Amino acid sequence: MIFNSLTFVVFFIIVMAIHHAPLFSWHQKKINLLLASYLFYAAWNPPFVILLWISTVVDWWAAQWMVRAKHERTRKLWMLTSVVVNLGMLGYFKYGGFLLSNFVELLAAAGVTYQPPKWDIVLPVGISFYTFATLSYTLDVYLRRAKPARHFLDYALFVTFFPHLVAGPIMRPTELVPQFEERPKVTAHQIYFGLGLMTLGLFQKVVLADGFLAPVVEKVYDAREGVPTMLDAWTATLAFSGQIFCDFAGYSSTAIGVALCLGFAMPDNFRFPYAAVGFSDFWRRWHITLSSWLRDYLYIPLGGNRHGPARTYTALMGTMLLGGLWHGAAWTFVAWGGLHGLYLAVERWLRSHFGGWKPGPGAIVALGLLTYLLVNITWVFFRAKTFKGAATMLQSMAGLADKPIPMIALLPMVYALAIIACIVGTHWAMRGKTLELAVERTPSWLVGTVLALMGLAVIAEQGKGSAFIYFQF
Amino acid sequence: MLRREGALPAGLRLTASDRPGQAQPVPTRDIPKQPWGGIAFGVAVALVLGVSALEVNARRLDLHAGDLDNSEVEWVKERAHSESAPVAIVGDSRILFDTDLDRFEALTGVRPVQLAIHGTSALTLLDDVSQNPNFHGLLVVGLADTMFFQPFDGYGGYVRRRNDFKSPSGRIGIEIDHFLQRRLAFLDSNYRLSVIAHRLDKDYRPGVEGPLDDIWKIQEVGERRQTWMWDRIERPGPLQAHARWAWKGFKEKFPFTPQLIAKGQATAKAAVDRIRARGGDVVFVRPPSGPELRVNEEAQVPKAKGWDVLLRNTHSVGVHVDDLPASVQGLTLPEYSHLTRKCATVFTDAYVRRLTQLTPRLKLRADAPPPLGRADCVRAQTASL
Repeated sequence: MIFNSLTFVVFFIIVMAIHHAPLFSWHQKKINLLLASYLFYAAWNPPFVILLWISTVVDWWAAQWMVRAKHERTRKLWMLTSVVVNLGMLGYFKYGGFLLSNFVELLAAAGVTYQPPKWDIVLPVGISFYTFATLSYTLDVYLRRAKPARHFLDYALFVTFFPHLVAGPIMRPTELVPQFEERPKVTAHQIYFGLGLMTLGLFQKVVLADGFLAPVVEKVYDAREGVPTMLDAWTATLAFSGQIFCDFAGYSSTAIGVALCLGFAMPDNFRFPYAAVGFSDFWRRWHITLSSWLRDYLYIPLGGNRHGPARTYTALMGTMLLGGLWHGAAWTFVAWGGLHGLYLAVERWLRSHFGGWKPGPGAIVALGLLTYLLVNITWVFFRAKTFKGAATMLQSMAGLADKPIPMIALLPMVYALAIIACIVGTHWAMRGKTLELAVERTPSWLVGTVLALMGLAVIAEQGKGSAFIYFQF
Repeated sequence: MLRREGALPAGLRLTASDRPGQAQPVPTRDIPKQPWGGIAFGVAVALVLGVSALEVNARRLDLHAGDLDNSEVEWVKERAHSESAPVAIVGDSRILFDTDLDRFEALTGVRPVQLAIHGTSALTLLDDVSQNPNFHGLLVVGLADTMFFQPFDGYGGYVRRRNDFKSPSGRIGIEIDHFLQRRLAFLDSNYRLSVIAHRLDKDYRPGVEGPLDDIWKIQEVGERRQTWMWDRIERPGPLQAHARWAWKGFKEKFPFTPQLIAKGQATAKAAVDRIRARGGDVVFVRPPSGPELRVNEEAQVPKAKGWDVLLRNTHSVGVHVDDLPASVQGLTLPEYSHLTRKCATVFTDAYVRRLTQLTPRLKLRADAPPPLGRADCVRAQTASL
């Protein structure tokens, strides 16, 4: 089930009515939420609920046995069991076909022809997200950062809780499990603000991402023939930067709003990323729950910055390459991650050599725009389906295309560029604030008007439930 | 007691990015101080008024509640119905628009299953039905000559994706969508906010195929895929003019080589043979097209090389619009390619009566309504203007 669907609207109304009805004990309400979450997931493809159960049960027991273990080796064994089971499922479903096709190509390069049976495995929606969420549970227990959940129900609900289940924010057990232990106090204001966040998120997804930006992106990136002009290539890439932000940040805002309506707090996943100055700043603002997960469970265990520059750069690059692969089983995603790793490495080197330099306001804006520009170069690899396609786009963006043709009509181009300008401008205006602070400082009539207009735009756009981009990850 | 981390005074909130290598605490979510009850009430009132305005505007634009939009899911459902159906129809948009299923049923007592898809060669769909071992009925193949032999499969994806897994939420979503569309006129994919905004572009940028070049709304779709021409296309005006202009592709030349036509003929024969081998049968129907398009269609795929050879090769009977009586010639084709809703009923009446004479699988009911003629739709059309 996806948030921008009529099915979800009906589901959410029913869940809200049951959850807030004074008919059930807190224990029963948690069971209701757990059942609703399984229903939410099963509505996509019922058999895949079994994967959720496997992940839930294995990690619950792994953590339990880890705590009871008397020897370090036994603890490690249980931790590895959890890692192998979770990454095994992820590997099989998400990377099986990719590994097989690379193996076939490797054999072909060695002169061996091998025709494997067709790899026809459907990717369970959101598997990358809940795998990371459950792994953080066993890893936190192993690293003694957290105690295991006291009740299986609370833990099962942490894994399955539908607002974050299929596309994040990637929750840590310490963020959510304690919230299930006692009945939260839910105020009417909290529900209204939650509905406001949902309206904002759906506006970003349905109206901006799907309605106005996606058609411009598709016109160029999915063109069957012809090479775009420099203007078209840049417009499409900038539009994609807006599309993917509105798509994913829209999902996160909606998820946070849904959770808030039910009485739970979820962490920020985006903090106005297109106002980032530098790439370490970008990753503190973009998909925060993933970047911090990779930092805590991959970069730091790989050595982080504690073992000299060479090890640091290796850990950095390794983390970003794997982060790229997390997004999709294709070499273009690896290149996307690698490019970000390169940016981070260069920035780190510059900071170590010019650490004393304090940029003025003008330089900060210039560096921010340079960051945005370079981030856009990486989006080309993210969006293009092949390296050839990415190369064609980059060639066009550099003004080196041979016989380019215009592809985007004038008004759609104007709309897309205006939306991008608004997004980037808003990010700069908000880079030192939270949304909540800005809302608090805005006259209430204006808050109401903006929410009404956004809600009406969502209805007028009649989104037909196209999936969020990050669902595929 | 639940411990939450407080917000920073400057309005910034800590996130996991600020706390490396540690267990993350329960997040803080501040609720901005605002009169949320009043805001919620105001927003609710504005939404009710806004949706009412959208609905009033939609009806003013001649959009109707009950127009269900074309959808792949509905086609798949009808495809499943076709397995036990005595009669099914395949083809492109002409037979889709030009067949009145109610009239078909009134004449024969049989309601056909409508499987035609706009922009798609009848050959693709004929081949699909021929591969379905459960179909033993009569297949009516409606064709436009050029569309039939073209090498592109248009919306053939409907056929290819037919057996793909459909999520329960997707199925439920369609049902809810249709529930609302039966009651609200403004829910029309051609009148989405972004679509309207994009269609304001009048090909301002030279050399770009923009929204103006798209096929805009020309039809309405009712229950069981009954499709008819939208009122506003029937009436002279900018939308009718646009629809006429948008068919410019039908006026262009495409290399229909003898090999291409022969390949189509062979595919058709193989498909017809497969259906007959298991007890089914196939008949062909060629609906009308305006002289503005017909001249090019005839030049590209002459009747003698297309239609005539098709019937001969497949040993089939068919109803070509040219062979119908004079009383049903000259029906109104507002955008040259499809009949008006009323003329579609007249054409259906004519071709079904003819089919009952050509195939024993269709019988004219004893209480069938009297025949219709051009006057039943052309006069009515004129009167309504």
